Amino acid sequence: MFDILKKTLETGSQTTKYPQIPDIAPAGFRGKPELLSEKCTFCGKCTTACPPGVIWLAEGDGEKILTLSYCGCIFCGRCEEVCPEGAIKLSGEYELASKTKEDLLTSIRRKT
Amino acid sequence: MTVEDEIEIMGQRLNDKIKKIFGRSLHIREVDAGSCNACEVEVNALSNPIYDIERFGIHIVASPRHADMLLVTGPVTRNMELALLKTYNATPSPKLVAAMGSCACNGGIFGDTYASGGGVDRFIPVDVYIPGCPPRPQAVIFGIMVALDKLPQKIKKIEAKP
Repeated sequence: MFDILKKTLETGSQTTKYPQIPDIAPAGFRGKPELLSEKCTFCGKCTTACPPGVIWLAEGDGEKILTLSYCGCIFCGRCEEVCPEGAIKLSGEYELASKTKEDLLTSIRRKT
Repeated sequence: MTVEDEIEIMGQRLNDKIKKIFGRSLHIREVDAGSCNACEVEVNALSNPIYDIERFGIHIVASPRHADMLLVTGPVTRNMELALLKTYNATPSPKLVAAMGSCACNGGIFGDTYASGGGVDRFIPVDVYIPGCPPRPQAVIFGIMVALDKLPQKIKKIEAKP
């Protein structure tokens, strides 16, 4: 009886205090992918490597636009793996919920 | 004031919001519309002692007639399409719909094929998208908080109708 009580008090509360205190994801967690515009060469390797096909390259009005949609992204890290310049990095951020699909798009552009 | 302090205050505000709008009670019906069950495992984890969403008064219920919110997972397969529409119609208004996981948002890895619908928003209106494959339980809690922002507007819309 006392042993159980002692063990319970030693363990304490294990519940996360998540919404009050931010929870940092463990090392190696694959979260929100980020595009770095200064390193990207717009080669298009990530667009063919992406399994769900949520990265696409568009050309028009004398500029190249690389767009990534987090809506549909499976956070596999293939784009980071194939990028020769290291222009895509997966960060540890996971709070991505949004009310519209447009908010989940991110893009970088460069004049040709 | 550091950034962490600000986030802590923000979290407190979100907590107050649940208490104010729902009187500490939000009931969720989880609909599996053809998902791979990874999202279901994360929803189960929400009610374990570590994440424990019952402390905010969020409950997962067994019938859409008891629910305020639908948590839809999966890309809506052809076989689950009718079941999803029936569940949506059985939920009393004002209702919230959250698309959980990348499949529910956009088709995800299943894509847009003859058997997969390619996203929940093609069948029923979606209020909040929670990307992730599967999303962490913390990300789901954050998604529910975002969805609660939309509720006062919905209540006003229903009250304005004669």
